Amino acid sequence: MSTTINAAPAAPATASSEMSRPSVLRRIMRDRVAGAAATILTVVVVAALFAEWVAPYDPYAINLLNVMAPPGGDHLLGTDSNGRDILSRLIYGTRNTLMLGLVGVIFGGLLGGLLGILAAFYKPLDGWIMRLVDVLLAFPAILIGLAVAAIAGAGMTAVLIALVVATIPDVARVARGAAIGVMEQEFMEAGRALGVSDFTLIWRYLTLNCISTIFVFLTLRFGQIILIGSALSFLGMGAQPPTAELGMMAAQGRDFLFMAPHIATVPSLAIFVIVLCANLLGDAIRDVLDPRLQQ
Amino acid sequence: MSTKKGVLAGLAIAAAIGFAPATQGQTLNIMRGVDAPHFDAHRTTWSPAGDIINMVQDTLVALDWDGKTPIPYLAQSWEVSPDGRKYTFKLRDDVRFCSGKKMTADDVAFSITRLRSPEIKGPFAWRAGEVKAVTAVDAHTVSYELTEGFSDLPLQLTMFTNVIMNRENVETLGKDYGVQGMDGTGPWCFVNWQPRTEINLRRNEHYKWGPKMFKNPGPVKFDRMSIKIIPEESSRVAAMMSGRFDLTGAFPTAFLTQAKAAPMLTVQRAEPNFQLLYYGYKITRPMVADARVREAMSIAINRAEIGKGVLLGNAEPAYTNVDPLALDYAPKSRDFLKEDVARANRLLDEAGWKMGADGIREKDGMKLAPRVYVSANTNSAKVAEAIQGYLRKVGVDWRLQVWDSTIAPIKMGEQDYEIWSVTVPYLTAGDLMSLYFDSRNIPTPNRMNWKNEQTDEWLRLGKTALVPEARTLNFGLVQEQVSREHLWIPVLNVDMYMVTNKRLKGARPHTLYQNVFYKGLDLSF
Repeated sequence: MSTTINAAPAAPATASSEMSRPSVLRRIMRDRVAGAAATILTVVVVAALFAEWVAPYDPYAINLLNVMAPPGGDHLLGTDSNGRDILSRLIYGTRNTLMLGLVGVIFGGLLGGLLGILAAFYKPLDGWIMRLVDVLLAFPAILIGLAVAAIAGAGMTAVLIALVVATIPDVARVARGAAIGVMEQEFMEAGRALGVSDFTLIWRYLTLNCISTIFVFLTLRFGQIILIGSALSFLGMGAQPPTAELGMMAAQGRDFLFMAPHIATVPSLAIFVIVLCANLLGDAIRDVLDPRLQQ
Repeated sequence: MSTKKGVLAGLAIAAAIGFAPATQGQTLNIMRGVDAPHFDAHRTTWSPAGDIINMVQDTLVALDWDGKTPIPYLAQSWEVSPDGRKYTFKLRDDVRFCSGKKMTADDVAFSITRLRSPEIKGPFAWRAGEVKAVTAVDAHTVSYELTEGFSDLPLQLTMFTNVIMNRENVETLGKDYGVQGMDGTGPWCFVNWQPRTEINLRRNEHYKWGPKMFKNPGPVKFDRMSIKIIPEESSRVAAMMSGRFDLTGAFPTAFLTQAKAAPMLTVQRAEPNFQLLYYGYKITRPMVADARVREAMSIAINRAEIGKGVLLGNAEPAYTNVDPLALDYAPKSRDFLKEDVARANRLLDEAGWKMGADGIREKDGMKLAPRVYVSANTNSAKVAEAIQGYLRKVGVDWRLQVWDSTIAPIKMGEQDYEIWSVTVPYLTAGDLMSLYFDSRNIPTPNRMNWKNEQTDEWLRLGKTALVPEARTLNFGLVQEQVSREHLWIPVLNVDMYMVTNKRLKGARPHTLYQNVFYKGLDLSF
């Protein structure tokens, strides 16, 4: 019996191996724009991961005798209104911003994907789950962030919750759509006929066949999540001083736009570059992994 | 010149110098940085509320430009009994509310009684003194009896918390009073309020009882006033520079140099100006219960650098709770605060807070990371971040919680913090000490929860003193005591400014409780 079960889901194995083929990376890198985006993102991620070694100064060390120094000299990107080195804060801030995006995408993706696949597999649950998704869709992330911040206080936790909740409904819809397509495949029928357990059907037959679609969607979603997270921090609901976070850095700099525009523009440009690169890379991954586009 | 030409020329000149209704139909546009949770004068200490209240409602006594002389306003005169326990106010007989109702002694008695009532829990009720009874002797005479003398009463009655309300209006609106509306005898009438967005007022047509400090007794020379809330500092700067607004008392201090250089703007500093930016400790919280810890945080910072770096020189370092120029300042209070980082480290060590591996001190498994509440878009928030940077060097991690200005009073009321901050304006040393350190003012504004019988007694003796020497002595003892206990971190004496568009004439900043606008009677284009 077990031998038969293992042999049945040939289609899932094909789909999942599509993503892991070494040629995928080569195909992405063949696209010059996507290659440049991937390179920039890699540099940003590496710098953020090794911020302790890369940052030239302590991002929290103030120097009130050297506030709002313009870029150049000892401070490549200048100093902020407390005399802190902007480059160092940018590196640490990028780490926090990327972390917000990743956590939002991973947890939102997991929960949303699970809901979507369950909705597709268990028809009686479909209506309930999708109405829940509709309700979640009705609340913008910023509103959710406001509500959480009002209850629990502003902070990274409030933003993370808002980002996860904001990611769930979109992913659930995409996952459900992909899963419904897979449900119509013959191997699903075969699995049921052979008495394969629901868990195995959901995980090995269904999820593995949908995962590339969800993954592509999440790569595209990553940039948006970073943007929403930065916006929430900009509005004061996210990171609290002195934590370096790109959105909050931009918010603090806006008070000095006339005197020291670099304080706000540097983190804003960083957000722009990261989101742009994430979107370009997401597009490239979609192009490579989506069989319809390949045709 | 023909007669017709002469008349026309005369009209033109009259219009130019303001006799003609040159400003008829005009709107005065004012900009603020923060809003208030409501405008019920009896239930607040919030100066952004006081600003609007002063425009719409009046007090028995006005505060002259010198910031220390009470002058007649709704009360045209008053007498004090020899023991200082009874004041008799003679009211003007020509005062009307915006609604048209005549103001009488009944409204005065009602207002002071309401302020003192337990239901209201007025945080500034003490400013009305220890009231025994306020009664209407006749329609225009008020008997104001106190259980004990209060030498500062006329001065305190200038505060917006002692405004005279229309009894019927208060009773009609109930809990919505100060939100849906408020009737007043002030030069401006309340029209509507969109929280965090805009407040609209109109001219009080009846008004003609402006205090003598103004050239124009009323009514004001504008039909309407629009007050917009612009939280972002850069937006406020741009709005003033572009001529969108005529006046603001909330111009960001960081940009005052640019404002002074701008050809279209006039910058005036309010003088005198006693305004302290401080951080207060809630001493009932274990983390800051030890005076050594409180002193360590106070002496580990550099006030001169903060004033220069954060407020760009628009503030002076404060080493005492009371400004040395203020009435009844105690010079000895200066002995308790000497900035010294090495001593701060020693004090924290002695108090048992040992440096942790992450550079933050800890004791009994608890990090020395006090929660600090500040209001967004204020100097307190900016300065807090600088202090945070200094204190990290001695192993203290201030966890800042920045609240929107409309939520801040509520959150501070919950008192779930070790430290909070505001910038407080005051009139005299006795004013500041009585406000914050009287145990009857626990929990607000005595957010330190400082309960000390000796303090209360000195405050009482200071307030009831019939000679200046006794008053100075007792208020001085309080200053020394609270400085020794390090209940506050005094940081900066912050300058207060009014910025106006040059087309606006007659502007002069007042000093009362950050309300630079006050009545605005002399303003015109």
